[in-house]
Amino acid sequence: MNSFTLAWANLWRKPVRTVLTALSIAMAFLLIGLLQGVNAGFAESIAKARRDVLTTDPRLRGSPPMPIAMMEQIRKVPGVADVAPRSYFMGDYRTPYTIAAIATLPRAWFKLRRQFRVDESALQAMERTRNGMLVTPAMIKQFGWKVGDQLTLRSRELKADGSGDWSFEIVGVFEALINPDNAFFTLIDYSYLDDARITNRGTVDRFFVRIADPERSIATATAIDTLFTNSSHQTRTRSDQDRAEAESKQMGDIGFFTNAVLGAVLFMILFLTANITRQSFQERISEFGVLKALGFSGGACLRLALTESLSVYLLAAGVGLGLASLLTPLAREIHSAVHVTGAVYLRGMTLALALAIASAAIPCWQAYRLPVAGALSARIS
Amino acid sequence: MNIARQILALTAVGVRNIPYRRGNSAVIVIGSACVVAVLLSVLAMATGFERTIQADARPDRVLVITNGMDTEGSSSLSRENADLIQAAPGIKRDSAGKAIASAEVVLVAPVIRRNGSDAYITLRGSDEQLMLVRPELRLVAGRMFRPGLHELIIGQAAQQQFRGLELGKVIRLHDGDWTIVGTFTAGDSVRESEAIADATTVMTAYQLGAYNSTTALLASESSFAMFGQALKRDPSLKVSVMREPDYLELVSGSIHRWLKSVAYLIGCIMGIGALFGALNTMYSAMASRQNEIATLRALGFSPVAIVSAIVLEAVLLSLVGAFVGIAMAYAAFNGQAINTLGGSLWDTQIVYTLSVSPPLVLLAIALAGSIGILGGLFPAIRSIRSTIVDALRAP
Repeated sequence: MNSFTLAWANLWRKPVRTVLTALSIAMAFLLIGLLQGVNAGFAESIAKARRDVLTTDPRLRGSPPMPIAMMEQIRKVPGVADVAPRSYFMGDYRTPYTIAAIATLPRAWFKLRRQFRVDESALQAMERTRNGMLVTPAMIKQFGWKVGDQLTLRSRELKADGSGDWSFEIVGVFEALINPDNAFFTLIDYSYLDDARITNRGTVDRFFVRIADPERSIATATAIDTLFTNSSHQTRTRSDQDRAEAESKQMGDIGFFTNAVLGAVLFMILFLTANITRQSFQERISEFGVLKALGFSGGACLRLALTESLSVYLLAAGVGLGLASLLTPLAREIHSAVHVTGAVYLRGMTLALALAIASAAIPCWQAYRLPVAGALSARIS
Repeated sequence: MNIARQILALTAVGVRNIPYRRGNSAVIVIGSACVVAVLLSVLAMATGFERTIQADARPDRVLVITNGMDTEGSSSLSRENADLIQAAPGIKRDSAGKAIASAEVVLVAPVIRRNGSDAYITLRGSDEQLMLVRPELRLVAGRMFRPGLHELIIGQAAQQQFRGLELGKVIRLHDGDWTIVGTFTAGDSVRESEAIADATTVMTAYQLGAYNSTTALLASESSFAMFGQALKRDPSLKVSVMREPDYLELVSGSIHRWLKSVAYLIGCIMGIGALFGALNTMYSAMASRQNEIATLRALGFSPVAIVSAIVLEAVLLSLVGAFVGIAMAYAAFNGQAINTLGGSLWDTQIVYTLSVSPPLVLLAIALAGSIGILGGLFPAIRSIRSTIVDALRAP
């Protein structure tokens, strides 16, 4: 019989107490798992975002779009490997559907946006067909389109002939590797859009820039922005990673509250279990006396008390965190960034370990120091 | 002795004995204090947000935006449209017959949070009717912006929340520096998170050809239908009209609901955890009081009275906890200003103060009370189930 078997048997001396303790710990760790899951979700999207892809936007949102001529200037900045322009196009398809399209140079764009994948044949078809359009499988499914279909989108963006009806031919499919079911947009050729439209001609709303060395992302971004400091189109260039980080900060002061809540939960749970552990030890002082009389060392008694506390904590914390990841789909309805990752489990279990030791500290010490005679004569109180 | 007096006597004994069961009692008090403090502070965010959103919203003030668009930001009104709207019947007019209405543009102005990170606030371009359309606006320092100059006035809440927005400082916008020449209050409403400048000057600076929206005061609340129909009849206008409270609910409702559901989710999970804790504590308290309870029964106290007294004791303890929690939440957060997303544009910040309101306090008390009732009831029932003789023999 090892000390774990003994500790386990001791735990079931009062099953109701153990189960209730475990349940309240599990609830606390469910909450910890979910709250940490939010942070982890943000951290993950920041870590995944690439540093070798920069975006150049007008320095202030709402400013007029930038001239396409800036593309050549950006291309000449040292360290820049590739540039792709982007303009948005929106048009109604058989009202009430609005189709969004990104007008760009498709080949360059796909090299820069690695979270989207396209076949070489589709790219070649796009280059052959001036009014070509690439769509996602999700849209094919929704609208029942097939490659070769012609469609007309009615837009507020007018053509030189005064009409707002834009015709496109679906020439291929591209896939979104992240969240493919929600990928509802299309890709069209920038020059087709720009040659035909009358407003904002020769402008783009964003440049995607790939740089050769990801370590130089800040220096290259600064170099691009410096280039346009004194022009009427000042820019703001950031890496994808910086943008993801800025987005996570947009929620404002709410992060402070998650931490405050975590603090309160930890305090409550520590107090609660420490009290129960203390009580359960008090009741069993004479049992520990018997163990010591039988030759168990102080250290063995200490290990026994600690094992008890650890098993309840680790088991309950595991259940709580597991519950948190089971509830993740539900939690995503409220906050889309929740992700109970391995790191969340690891941090949770470390926390459980620390709490188990903290809550059992006093009983452990008492078990260690317990004089045999005094313990044997102790009445359960 | 009737039941009520028995309950009273037993509760009095129980309460007097609390000092001898310090650990157990403290668990219930601290458990419910933590739950209440957390629930209150998160709900105080939701309540404060809602209060700011709906502050000074007037049913006789309307917003006109493009048909099919649901926010000011995505709407676009040409100058001709804006003139037609101002000429429509139903709008309140001054003695000279001029409509109390402003055609406005909304853009963003960059600000810096106190922690140094970037954020945006709404920059509103308005006209000389601004203060008439929005009587709740009051300049408290400096002066009004002058049309044609790069000047703006800033809401006091934004000024206090973000860095470097004092009078005389500048904000860098698309075409250069704009000087802050005035500070205004707006009765805690969402306007106080905004910067306001002259519409025409802003539109020139940003090369904009159209307004976003028109805000107008109606002659009376009941002119809404007349005004709406007049706009609908005009074939050159494709616009929809919304009363201000409805519009604000539409724009900020989702963030408000989000804050609320987060609050209730956290409160719910914590509440269940605390309930298990209270149950646990009461069960072991009952176990150690087996003799005492059996003695009471042998003396002739009714089981109902014994159960009620135990439940009452648990409720009293959790209510003490509730008051501690309320005091903590109130001291730490009530009146504190914070900022989150939720301004007039999708990525602009709104500044609001947390508010621990009386309904929230009642809710917290109810929650703590229920934790006490449930936490006391089951252990109490179990304690009177064994026979008196067995219970008296227990060690």
